[in-house]
Amino acid sequence: MRNYRQCLQAWLARRVRGWARRRQGRDGRSVTLDSRRIYIAPTSAGLVFALMVTTMLAGAMNYNNNLGFALTFLLAALGVTTIYHTHRMLAGLRLQLLGAEPVFAGEPLDVRLTLGNDGATAREELHLGWDDATGTPVSVEAHHSRIVHLPLATAQRGHHALPGLRVSASTPLGLVRAWAWIHVDAQLLVWPRPAMEQIEPPYSGASTTPDGRQSAGDDDFGGLRDYRPGDPPRRIAWKRYARSGELLVREFRGGTQATAWLDWDLLPPAGVEQRIAWLTRQVLDAAAAGRSWGLRLPGLEIAPGSGSAQVHRCLERLALAMPTGPAAP
Amino acid sequence: MNRPAAARHAMDRRQVAWAAAAMVFGGAPHLFMVTPWVPLLVLAIALWRILAAARGWRLPSLWIRVPVTVLAFLGVALTYRGVAGVDAGSALLLVMAGMKLLETRTERDRIVVVLIGYFLLFAVLLREQAIWSFAWLVVGTIGITAALAQTVRHERLLPVPAAAVLAARLLLQALPLAALLFVLFPRIPGPFWAMPETRSAGISGLDDQIEPGDIAELSLSDAVAFRVRFEGAVPPAEALYWRGPVLERFDGRRWLALPDATRESAPDRTRVPGPIYGYQLVLEPQGQRWLLALETPLAWSVPHAALGRSLQLQSAEPFAERLSYRARSASGGVTRVEPPPEVLAYNLRLPAGRNPRTLELAAKLRSDSTAARTYLARVLQFLGSGTFSYSLTPPPLGVHSVDDLLFGSRQGFCEHYASAFAVLARAGGIPARVVVGYQGGERNPFGDYWIVRQANAHAWVEAWFDGAWRRIDPTSVVAPGRIASGIEATLAATPVAAERLWRANAFINRMVLSWDAVNAVWDRWVLAFGPEMQADLLLALGFEVPRVTQLTGLAIAGTIGCMLVMGLLLRQAPRRRRDVVALAYASLCGKLAGIVRARLPAETASHYAAAIASARPDLAGEVDALTALYLELRYGAPADPARAHELATRVRRFRPRAAPARR
Repeated sequence: MRNYRQCLQAWLARRVRGWARRRQGRDGRSVTLDSRRIYIAPTSAGLVFALMVTTMLAGAMNYNNNLGFALTFLLAALGVTTIYHTHRMLAGLRLQLLGAEPVFAGEPLDVRLTLGNDGATAREELHLGWDDATGTPVSVEAHHSRIVHLPLATAQRGHHALPGLRVSASTPLGLVRAWAWIHVDAQLLVWPRPAMEQIEPPYSGASTTPDGRQSAGDDDFGGLRDYRPGDPPRRIAWKRYARSGELLVREFRGGTQATAWLDWDLLPPAGVEQRIAWLTRQVLDAAAAGRSWGLRLPGLEIAPGSGSAQVHRCLERLALAMPTGPAAP
Repeated sequence: MNRPAAARHAMDRRQVAWAAAAMVFGGAPHLFMVTPWVPLLVLAIALWRILAAARGWRLPSLWIRVPVTVLAFLGVALTYRGVAGVDAGSALLLVMAGMKLLETRTERDRIVVVLIGYFLLFAVLLREQAIWSFAWLVVGTIGITAALAQTVRHERLLPVPAAAVLAARLLLQALPLAALLFVLFPRIPGPFWAMPETRSAGISGLDDQIEPGDIAELSLSDAVAFRVRFEGAVPPAEALYWRGPVLERFDGRRWLALPDATRESAPDRTRVPGPIYGYQLVLEPQGQRWLLALETPLAWSVPHAALGRSLQLQSAEPFAERLSYRARSASGGVTRVEPPPEVLAYNLRLPAGRNPRTLELAAKLRSDSTAARTYLARVLQFLGSGTFSYSLTPPPLGVHSVDDLLFGSRQGFCEHYASAFAVLARAGGIPARVVVGYQGGERNPFGDYWIVRQANAHAWVEAWFDGAWRRIDPTSVVAPGRIASGIEATLAATPVAAERLWRANAFINRMVLSWDAVNAVWDRWVLAFGPEMQADLLLALGFEVPRVTQLTGLAIAGTIGCMLVMGLLLRQAPRRRRDVVALAYASLCGKLAGIVRARLPAETASHYAAAIASARPDLAGEVDALTALYLELRYGAPADPARAHELATRVRRFRPRAAPARR
């Protein structure tokens, strides 16, 4: 019985949301809620309140009691007044999607939004949630704005489409609830989940010093290349910089700075997701060890490099490589 | 984002306290209304619940709650011998609220408790409609609404004053719509399914039977019987006879009313000589059927009321609420409406074997006089001979009550003399009956109306002779001052109720009277508001024939109008704080755009000024100065408003001419 009711409610909610979405169209990253997209309905408490007022009206009429009428009409008018107040919690609210830093699949994305209140009254206890979740309450003072962090669960690597966002409020008396749906076309990056077990990549260099310090007598200087964010400062050609103002980085071939090639084809035979998980793990391990590495995927090669920029580059490629179908594990 | 459990717990505790507070706001007045153990039980439960929330005690299980609830319900049913009626209903509601509080865990439970609080408040109003009830309505609604606002919050609670202010503000905003509905919502008279219970217990007032001493006892009470406002002429004090029950059956000691279900039409004007007075009367509830009216009522505005056989105005049902009506009466004391012969015969009956000496006296007086009129005059003469005195505390009378009075104690109150006179009249062959009601009243100078109190209770006689019922008041010959100057003056020397001594002080009496005037206004305009006043309102608005449909239309139109206005006033206006500086600069740019060129989107103010200066050197001086002032106000140290005002004024006065070359 309960299940049946819940199913019915969920189905109804989906239908209404779909209708609203078709009606409103897609939103940009910044939205100001206007009356046309704010929906309002009594809460269950509001329905009980209405029933109570009706009963009081019947009682006042039966006993012909003027103070009874006074209380009845005062409460009825109070109910009507809260409609405006609740609506006002949302009307004119500015929402701006700031985005989210990528996370590994399975971890929640930390989606950041700005809530802007240009109005003269505070907006109290707005509930923000994905799809039809209620979410936690936040308040925005008059003429203020605040940043809200909304966790969004992830399961798969790749682009995560932002679900519909629901903003709702039932303040001040909880008798009616106003809500609005916001559908932003935004793709948030989710990195692959790294494998638990390690598979050592074959290193092209002979020996390694884990900290990558240049040893004496090193003659494997490979030349200079443009600085890329994330390059270790000690490898910047400072003399050259002092002379010309160009920021260059010394590159080494072989030698003590071992460069690893993380290669799809060199992995043990396994499924796509397993290989991507291994490669992810290798990228993270290499970065943790301070090494330099390159990545080879079918039809794609990332030149060797190191540092967090290289990590981001590789993880993004891994996230988007060989897009998984909906049925992928 | 999970808040610490401790914070949540603290908030939960305070919300339970708020729900309990809502119950107190709704239930506190019941302390004085229902049997005391119920509110005390509920109060104890509320305190326990707040403590339980504070200490984290476990709430009682179903095994404890169900028996406690059943016991409490049984207790109420036994106390009130049933569960019907407002009192028992209120008690049950209180018990339910307490039990609900005992199991309050979730937000939903708390909301239910708060809503029960509203209902308790409603029950208070059903019981009592005095001004203090209204004051409590205001306080209670604010309190309960604040509790509701706190109960439904999730993030953090408002501070107590802020919650009260929020509730008061919401209610204030709701007030216009509420007032509109109060005035325009069609009032349909009459109960629909249940009569308000009669609360005659404890109400002092006239009864449909009197024994010697009853009215004397009543006249100690200062309680208000009714208030009356005359429309036009005011009758003299000695004509203020307010007729109540008419008593026709005498058992030797008591006078009783006959059951009377007849409905007579109002007597013809020609049959009731004497001046006619119109008045509006607000009758306090007395749990009886009769409606008080001046002497002989000719017209009245109570829909279900009619005259009985003895020309007594009575409603179809006893009424327990304050009743307001308008009426017109003749007050000549003579009614030429011939009753059926059997009624006249009944009004001659005397119990056999009682009051033999009185009958003897009647026979003696009657034999001396031929006409009824002369006989009654002689009886009055006998009573007014000076041997009889008027006393609140006469000695008790025996079986032959009239004999004891006339030949024994010779002291009595109005009912004693009325009874004696009626017996003497009947014994003399003249149909006579005792009328109980009120005589006189106190004029309230603060409101220009009359207060008639229980102390004004009186009894007099109507006798049928010369083709009419004629009012005869034997008290007027025994204590002439009673009728002319009122009961207070007559009894000044007798020990009376402390209340009345209190009122003897002129200042205090003025206070009492002015408070009574406030109450009268309250009764007249607020409590008496009903179908009649709504009809008057429609007439005043220009509707020829007032109808409920018109009222309904007005109510709907008014509600829609009210909601539109509310929508305008309560919308979230993106009210930008008026930025004088930005507006002034925008105005300057607008003026320059018209004659030189518009400012480019990314152009700074200084660049724009420079561009203007090179294009129109003649404007350079003022534009540079204004731009400098703008930049100072915008980006400099906090500006003083005078400078901003200066900028606005100078921009307003700046009227650049278009370049001569272009002309």
